[in-house]
Amino acid sequence: MILLGAVLVAAAVVLYVVQPVFSGEKAPLVSLDEEFTEAEARRHLSLVALRDVEYDFATGKIDERDYRRLRDELAREALDALHEVRRSREQTESAPTAQDTLADDLEQEIAAYRAALRAGTMCDRCGSPNPAEALFCAACGIRLESERGEEAAPAAQG
Amino acid sequence: MILLGEFALWVALPVSIWGIVLAFVGGHRKRGDLVLSAERSVYAVFFLLCLTSLGIILAFVGEHYEYRYVWGYSSRELETYFKVTGLWAGQRGSLVFWVLLLALFSSIAVFQNRRRNREFMPSVVGVLLTITAFFLGVLLFADVNPFERLPFPMPNGQGLNPQLQNYWMTIHPPTLYLGFTSFSVPFAFGVAALITGKTDSRWLVVTRRWTLLSWFFLTNGIIFGMRWAYEELGWGGYWFWDPVENASLLPWLTATAFLHSVMIQEHRGMLKMWNLSLVSLTFLLTIFATFLTRSGLIESVHSFAQNTRIAYIFLAFLGAATMACLLLILWRKDDLRAERTIESFLSRESAFLMNNLILLGSAFAVLWGTLFPLISEGVAGTKVAVGPAFFNRVNIPIGLVLLALTGIGPVIAWRKATRRNLERNFVSPLLMAAAVVAGLMIAGMRGFYALATFAICGFVLTILVNEFWKGTRARARIEGEGLGRAFLHLIARNRRRWGGYIVHVGIVLMFAGFAGASFHTETDQSVEPGDQIRAASPYGHEYVLTYQGLSSSRTPNMWQWVALLDVSRDGRRLGTITAEQRIYSTADQPIREVGIRSTPLEDVYVILAGVEDFEGAVLNESSAQGAVFQVLVRPLVGWLWYGGLVITLGSLIALWPGAGGPARRKVQATPASARLAKV
Ligand code: HEM
Ligand SMILES: [Zn+2]
Repeated sequence: MILLGAVLVAAAVVLYVVQPVFSGEKAPLVSLDEEFTEAEARRHLSLVALRDVEYDFATGKIDERDYRRLRDELAREALDALHEVRRSREQTESAPTAQDTLADDLEQEIAAYRAALRAGTMCDRCGSPNPAEALFCAACGIRLESERGEEAAPAAQG
Repeated sequence: MILLGEFALWVALPVSIWGIVLAFVGGHRKRGDLVLSAERSVYAVFFLLCLTSLGIILAFVGEHYEYRYVWGYSSRELETYFKVTGLWAGQRGSLVFWVLLLALFSSIAVFQNRRRNREFMPSVVGVLLTITAFFLGVLLFADVNPFERLPFPMPNGQGLNPQLQNYWMTIHPPTLYLGFTSFSVPFAFGVAALITGKTDSRWLVVTRRWTLLSWFFLTNGIIFGMRWAYEELGWGGYWFWDPVENASLLPWLTATAFLHSVMIQEHRGMLKMWNLSLVSLTFLLTIFATFLTRSGLIESVHSFAQNTRIAYIFLAFLGAATMACLLLILWRKDDLRAERTIESFLSRESAFLMNNLILLGSAFAVLWGTLFPLISEGVAGTKVAVGPAFFNRVNIPIGLVLLALTGIGPVIAWRKATRRNLERNFVSPLLMAAAVVAGLMIAGMRGFYALATFAICGFVLTILVNEFWKGTRARARIEGEGLGRAFLHLIARNRRRWGGYIVHVGIVLMFAGFAGASFHTETDQSVEPGDQIRAASPYGHEYVLTYQGLSSSRTPNMWQWVALLDVSRDGRRLGTITAEQRIYSTADQPIREVGIRSTPLEDVYVILAGVEDFEGAVLNESSAQGAVFQVLVRPLVGWLWYGGLVITLGSLIALWPGAGGPARRKVQATPASARLAKV
């Protein structure tokens, strides 16, 4: 009886473990979803830092002069990173962007962050800014659990 | 079923070795089938270890005293609860339990990442299974097999050490083990980052929650241990700088350092090599702690083994793992250069750096004090004890600087703090600190360290409360919300930050509790029924304990004396308190069950230190009721436990899934929505 149990356990374990080697079933070796490139990660970090600076200013932790100084520094960094993101994207996609619109893009992006911050629609999970009326994050699809979301849900039902 | 458990233990080792080989080969050759097989071995090992653990538990519950381990840690009289927890009551079982938890966390990590972070996974699986295989090897080949049989079966077991028959003691070791084993996951990712050369911040982002989880368990494990010592050891203290306690503190210190240094890399791209070193060091210390606790190398209240072979095996593994980490880090050192340098001494990154240096300094002092007796014994032949005095002298000043930084770190600006930044944030906290000192001195308090601690506590608490207040107010203004709502939303929006700050508040409370220890009073007195013991409280109250009498009783496995006392404070009766002494048939020393009356301000802690007429008391003679009591009044001890609860709350908030913060992880982004996000 014990022997039978032991044989069964051993056989089940061995079969389960060894099966992929024979059947050729594979585990993926690269991630299925897109990963950040290094430049995207840096741009993201600068933007998050920018968010913190906005927050520190809003709460009076830093004064106007420090705020401007930090903001300019971070904006420059984010811009550099954005350049790089565009460059690498140009290589993979055929959507070239003119160099001089970059600064505008960044301004827009920062403005979007600021607006999202005000509206409480900055995504909790991925940190992306979303338009003020958004219910779901455009980047990752998670529900934005802001007050808007909570109030909008019953409204949508009735 | 028990035999099946033993068999499963033997099968688990080859399965894990198979997994190690296939993981590394498969990762190197880019063979998905081999990697899948390796990942399945992780699940298989977990399954096998469940069978093994079940086997051990059944051996305990079924009273199989032919097994040495079961015989050594239970007896027929023991409650079933303690039979089940026998799985981790002694060395052999706790090693099984350790590797069971490791296999559990490995399985969770593999399952969680079955689609994500695939580049890391072959190495992660390889590393986790290597650790598993090491422990399985120890269990099978180092004379610690839990299924070892006695030469002939025993009718009954030896029983469990009565001091371990305590609620806190049954949850303290498992909690620590949860912390130790779950830290293997961040370590494995760190090593995987080194092996694959993907040394950017991604492995940190992936493992942050694991690190925090492990930290959470370690913290609670340590606090449970303090609670156990306080209630059960009957000395009135909660921390004795015992080697086993130190062993659990060491990885906690380095893990705390790691939690913070991670933020510098995430924000500023610095300290890559440092982070990899810290994650390795912390992992090595978890193994070291297990080794210290479970090899019997150092005698102490909780360790009970005396087998030297296991000590050498552990040391060899520690040495090999250290070498491997060092070599890997050196191999990748060109990739690990900092992207930036620290700009100013007055900045948040340098506060984090100080935090790290201090935590490591403290870890080093603790390690040195723990190992020094051993080294001196090995070199000079005599064991030089390193007492609490050494640890306190070194760690109290270090702890105070750390406490101050706990407040400074959160409000000092990144990069470079200006004078205006400092003025805005530090003036009122400093005033508060001064007010605390003045108030306490007027109230008659003296003592440099205690005053300094309370002052710094006031300083940090003011900063943190201010922080919460400013954030709430800003949010309320911008969103037009009520303050309560704004406060909750504030925390929910950036759980990592606010959870962390709540943890900091808990740390402040605990430090206040520590400082309370410098004011405890002790009264020793020998009394007859009706006599009174007067104990002064540091707040100027007076406790009067009136001794009512003693009763003795006997159960099959112990003698028990229970002393009853009436307590009143400043003439007002508060109730009764009992203090006991027990002599178990299985233990030679009497066990003291202390009586504790706890309020937020102070604990009255009554120890029945001795019975004057032993034989008379056994017979319950009314003339033989004389007893000796120690009455301790311990201020602020309760704050340790409240602080612990606050820390738990804060770390749960920081851990909660979906918390905001700089970590950005995309989950199944479709190409279209991903493009949207980039605009
Ligand atoms: C024993 C002492 C300390 C403990 C137990 C502790 C614990 C923690 C924990 C658990 C977190 C949350 C981390 C996360 O969610 O990833 C945190 C956050 C934080 N800690 Fe500490 N900490 C301590 C000391 C310090 C010190 C000395 C500093 C000063 C540099 C500091 C600065 C911070 C900051 C700034 C954050 C929030 C980061 C953010 O904005 O997200 N901590 N702390
Ligand atoms: Zn999102």
